[in-house]
Amino acid sequence: MRGERYFKKGEQEMSSDGKPWNPYLAGALAGLVSIGSVWFAGKYFGASTTFVKTAGLVEQLFSPERVAQMEYFIKNTPGVDWQSMFLVGIFVGALIASLTDGSFRLQGLPALWEERFGPSIGKRGIIAFLGGTVAMFGARLADG
Amino acid sequence: MSQLLYGLITGILFGFLLQKGRVLRYEKQISALLLKDMTIIKFMLTSVSVAMVGTYLLVDLELAKLSIKSTILGANIIGGLLFGLGWGALGYCPGTSVGAVAEGRWDALWGVAGMLAGAALFAELFPAMKASVLTWGNFGKITLPQLLGINHWFVIVPFIAGTILLFRWLEKKGL
Repeated sequence: MRGERYFKKGEQEMSSDGKPWNPYLAGALAGLVSIGSVWFAGKYFGASTTFVKTAGLVEQLFSPERVAQMEYFIKNTPGVDWQSMFLVGIFVGALIASLTDGSFRLQGLPALWEERFGPSIGKRGIIAFLGGTVAMFGARLADG
Repeated sequence: MSQLLYGLITGILFGFLLQKGRVLRYEKQISALLLKDMTIIKFMLTSVSVAMVGTYLLVDLELAKLSIKSTILGANIIGGLLFGLGWGALGYCPGTSVGAVAEGRWDALWGVAGMLAGAALFAELFPAMKASVLTWGNFGKITLPQLLGINHWFVIVPFIAGTILLFRWLEKKGL
């Protein structure tokens, strides 16, 4: 009985979500971090260029000549730069934050998704993959 | 080398705050799109407001330069629509998806893979885009203050005032 109680979804969510910060406070501090970045490194936050440069790196493994001729990869040279490390940092920072306050949880299916679309991992995988593809194409088109 | 280190440190701080603000979650992103939980809007607009003031102060003091992207209506509108569709399906955005993986929500990995595919696809189609969508309504590197012909602080202050009013309303509605 006790186990059942502990595994009720809502309760599990409530009991182990660590200590969230007020979003206004976290947002304001994030704003300060971005000011510091502009000041000290001259860099504005961004993420999507890294996906281009990383895709270029992967494609280079198969056909370096082809990548060298593609206009978009000439504009955005495949490689690792400030922004790639920024994304690595986001990973590390989120890992530290979630491990230290107990909100880290290995989860392959968001509860809200499961409620609406069922427990299939494959279904989630396909929609998430296609969603990511369309979102990134849009982001690059809008140059965001 | 120091640029890479700056990137890493900045990312760690930002990722830590994203996670603490709980804005990396699928539930938070989708609930914002459904207008049911505005946590992300609160985080984002506060961050933008603070950064806007600080960045323009640095620009006024000639300690930093703006990096302005071109306004191309065709590309911005079509790209924005596509981004929104994809975002709604995935439930994570490009920068936060890696943070979501870091807090154990590994379904974001599907999204990361999809985004790499999307970037590769865009690289393939770039010549075609450049000849079409990327020429539709190209206004170049314009800004709101420049367009209105006023000092940037006359845009920043009303923007922040509007943001505060929005926040008050959201809190009153319990969003």
